Amino acid sequence: MFCDEALDAIEPIAAGELKPDGRIAAHLASCPNCAAALEDARRLERMLRSRPIPRTPPQFTSRTMAIVRRQRWRSEQFLDVGFNVVLIAVALVIVGGVWLFMSQTGLAAVSSDAVDLFGAGFATVARRVAPSVPLYAGATALLAMALGIWWWAERDASL
Amino acid sequence: MEAVNERELVERCRQGDQGAFQELVDRYKDLVFALIARTVQDRSRAEDLAQDVFLRVHRGLPYFRGEARLSTWIYRIVANVCLQDQSRAPKASVSLDDGRGAARTPSAADRQYGDLELRDRLEKGIARLPANYRLLVAAHYLDGVQYEELAEALQLPLGTVKTQLYRAKQQLRRLLETELK
Repeated sequence: MFCDEALDAIEPIAAGELKPDGRIAAHLASCPNCAAALEDARRLERMLRSRPIPRTPPQFTSRTMAIVRRQRWRSEQFLDVGFNVVLIAVALVIVGGVWLFMSQTGLAAVSSDAVDLFGAGFATVARRVAPSVPLYAGATALLAMALGIWWWAERDASL
Repeated sequence: MEAVNERELVERCRQGDQGAFQELVDRYKDLVFALIARTVQDRSRAEDLAQDVFLRVHRGLPYFRGEARLSTWIYRIVANVCLQDQSRAPKASVSLDDGRGAARTPSAADRQYGDLELRDRLEKGIARLPANYRLLVAAHYLDGVQYEELAEALQLPLGTVKTQLYRAKQQLRRLLETELK
């Protein structure tokens, strides 16, 4: 047997996964180089088995969960924004389609009279409603503030 | 972990149960962190990568079909994360010699510090191994990671895993040869 052949078996023998058969055992007994290599391999094996296991840092779970929640919240926000963008795009397409249809069929000319009529009506309504505008504005601001506080509280809770 | 428990846990995670996912993190964090820390040999980097692993697990759970064990699937993610990190990182140039000369024969005084010194050199030697060998050495010597599971996680035949591990140790032995004598 040549040393190369024995050296190929050194690692499995050192790991205890291969029992040296007669030829290898005889070679190891007669070849000091291969015997030394086996001794080195056994020593390395012992060192590898006794390597300290790195300890997980404290708070690892809570830190990981915080990252996972943040990531989830971000992806939900992204989905919300995407949904809103799609909605706006669909609305624009519908409005554009209607406008195109009206201009192609001549309905736009008829509708301009209707727009004038609605405009005059709207101006009348606006004149009557104008005194109450500050009241409505205040109520709207209060509602917006309440919604803002609710959103802020929900966001903190989800984090 | 029993297969039934594992399936239940995965199902609860899929339904958005944060408590279930926390349980999953608790069950696997030690193994994942130890495996990564041994592979990258930098604790803070290892923590970032371990968190990245769990983030990928969280994202991937809806697509996990349960064909492999959950732990095998997690090891596969760990392997991908470690190998990707290795491909991004600059090549390690850790010296085994610390300027003391490669062929120096240890004196009697050195032998008193033998274990500590050898351990240090062992870590430096491991750092010089290719990333896939490092991962194999790290995983094989951690409790609970079997050859079969490792082969499935790395999508390699069992024989290849064993051969690569032997080669890794052979390379490591060559790196440390002068110090181990």
